[in-house]
Amino acid sequence: MATGFDVSRLEALLESAKLLQSSLELEPILKHLLRTAMGRLLARKGMIAVRKGDGNLRVELARGAPTLVAASLYSEDAAREAGIEKIYAIGADPQPVGLLGLGGFALGARSEEEEFLEALLGVAASVISNAQAHEQARTANMLLDQRLQELRALLDLGRGLAATLDPDEVAQLVGFTLAGRWAIGKYAVAAWKDSHANVIRQKGLDLGDIEAAKAKYANLTEPQLTAEGTLVLPIRSQEALIGVVVCGPRMRGMKYRDADLEFGAGLAAQAAVAMENAWHFKDTLARQQMEKELALAASIQQDLFPKSLPPLASLEIAAKNRQAKQVGGDYYDVLPFGGTSPNDTHMLCVADISGKGISAALLMSIIQATLRSLLKRESSLLEIAGTANDLLYATTPPNKYATAFLCAVDPPTGQCRFVNCGHNAAVLLRASGEVELLDGPGLALGLFPMKTHAEKAFALQSGDVLAIYSDGVSEAQNIVDEQFEIDRLTAVLKEHHLAPSSEIVDHMFAAIDAFAGEAPQFDDITLMIIKRQ
Amino acid sequence: MASSFSVHASEIAGIGILALDGFLDAHTAPQFDEAIQKELNAGRRNLVVNCEKLTYISSAGLGVFMSFIEEIRDAGGDIRICGVVPKVLQVFEILGFQTLFDIVSDVPTAVARFQQGGQG
Repeated sequence: MATGFDVSRLEALLESAKLLQSSLELEPILKHLLRTAMGRLLARKGMIAVRKGDGNLRVELARGAPTLVAASLYSEDAAREAGIEKIYAIGADPQPVGLLGLGGFALGARSEEEEFLEALLGVAASVISNAQAHEQARTANMLLDQRLQELRALLDLGRGLAATLDPDEVAQLVGFTLAGRWAIGKYAVAAWKDSHANVIRQKGLDLGDIEAAKAKYANLTEPQLTAEGTLVLPIRSQEALIGVVVCGPRMRGMKYRDADLEFGAGLAAQAAVAMENAWHFKDTLARQQMEKELALAASIQQDLFPKSLPPLASLEIAAKNRQAKQVGGDYYDVLPFGGTSPNDTHMLCVADISGKGISAALLMSIIQATLRSLLKRESSLLEIAGTANDLLYATTPPNKYATAFLCAVDPPTGQCRFVNCGHNAAVLLRASGEVELLDGPGLALGLFPMKTHAEKAFALQSGDVLAIYSDGVSEAQNIVDEQFEIDRLTAVLKEHHLAPSSEIVDHMFAAIDAFAGEAPQFDDITLMIIKRQ
Repeated sequence: MASSFSVHASEIAGIGILALDGFLDAHTAPQFDEAIQKELNAGRRNLVVNCEKLTYISSAGLGVFMSFIEEIRDAGGDIRICGVVPKVLQVFEILGFQTLFDIVSDVPTAVARFQQGGQG
């Protein structure tokens, strides 16, 4: 340290040093330093440049030198031009922490004050370094706080998303989180999936047509900043683009940083999983609902089958239906024309309705209602078949129709009339062993608006066995795709023709099962056996 | 995660007062969203959000403020925030909310600021 300091200078130096050290903020330190230097050396112009993190000296403060702009890169030429005459290093060469420049000395150079200044600059150097370190730590802390806040936001969003299974709520949460995180007032969240309603949540932005958005962002894999200052985040699930988040410009002109893009990508990934989960949940719900409806339809359909068959004089009737699916398309019934006594004429009916499920159940109920109402006032099978055909044709689409075997039987005499509406030929096994096939002509009911049927007659005699069945019997398949066929059906009838009707039915089902083995059956199986005692 | 949160709405001189209580996170943000929407539906454009009992706010919670601020200011209204506890205030500051919203000490101050007129 230079000698020759008098007590007052030493006191002033001590006071300045104390003042400098009392602050950790760069700005007041520099202001005090410049003020003191200009005061002691009576300089009208002054400036301080400080070495920044990038190693460059930048002007921090200038007084009386308007051309020296704060934060601009320091150049000695510019400083000289601005009237700075003397430049002092703050801290030791070759890498001083800064420079202090003075000019416009009112009383010229004063060496004793320069000594004072050099002493002061020595103190200032360490104070400035401390302040800079402090500022760096603060900046680092702020960045850490930001990252911490980002992590909290993702965690919070994750918890929120885990609590919802509604795609719209997922979009809402994603929107809120981004709007809060980035202080944006305009945003849009959209997501889409086949067979699901589009999810759109937007504030202050209009994505417009979703199809257009899909095409526009189809190849977007990373967050993208647009020229208008918006940020587009693709929501991808596996390879497919399932949605997009568009964030409007940040308020107060802030820019999206690299860390923001990372945050956005992480958030979009979370959103993708949550969206898929929500959709999956909806699908599961829908499937459960469908299964419920099917079960309901099946129970309705079961109610359409007769609980028991009416006892008819000298006749022994048994019937059985086995559905391939929950709701099938076969139907059988024994219905009275008028009177319901064992001697009154009844109709034996086996029908096979096109399709499966609820539509088949509906059609079945239409056929049953039609037959029941017609039988009360009409005894001609041809009229019944014709009217049922016209009704079904008029009330159902062309792909909905039913084949049916309708047979009117007079119990005391065994006299039968029948109409075959496109159905499998019923098999009549005579007591003699002779086999008769009861076939058409005539098309399925509801197919064409014309009368194609014909009524035929036969007499059921003692010992005869009549088998009316659906194609699930004759077309039952084994694992090598062979069909059960009429021959096997007839063989079972022949083998068990002496057994009661109900046992013949059981034997037939057992024979079909033995034949089919492991092969799955896709069609309903219906069989009605009628014997005359 | 049964985080508890509630919004109590009242009115002072045509200014909607929403008092928040508890945890405002992604899970509870929709409640706050609905509360603001109700105020707008009722025709109120000047809102005070009282945060005295707000113990936590997440980005999603802040997102609700952001989701309405443009619409409300476009309609000539504003949202003022008051009674923010230090822990919540810190989150506001990290995300720069104090530059976007007028944050004051209590409800009477916020109401008075509305009555003196002017935004933010």
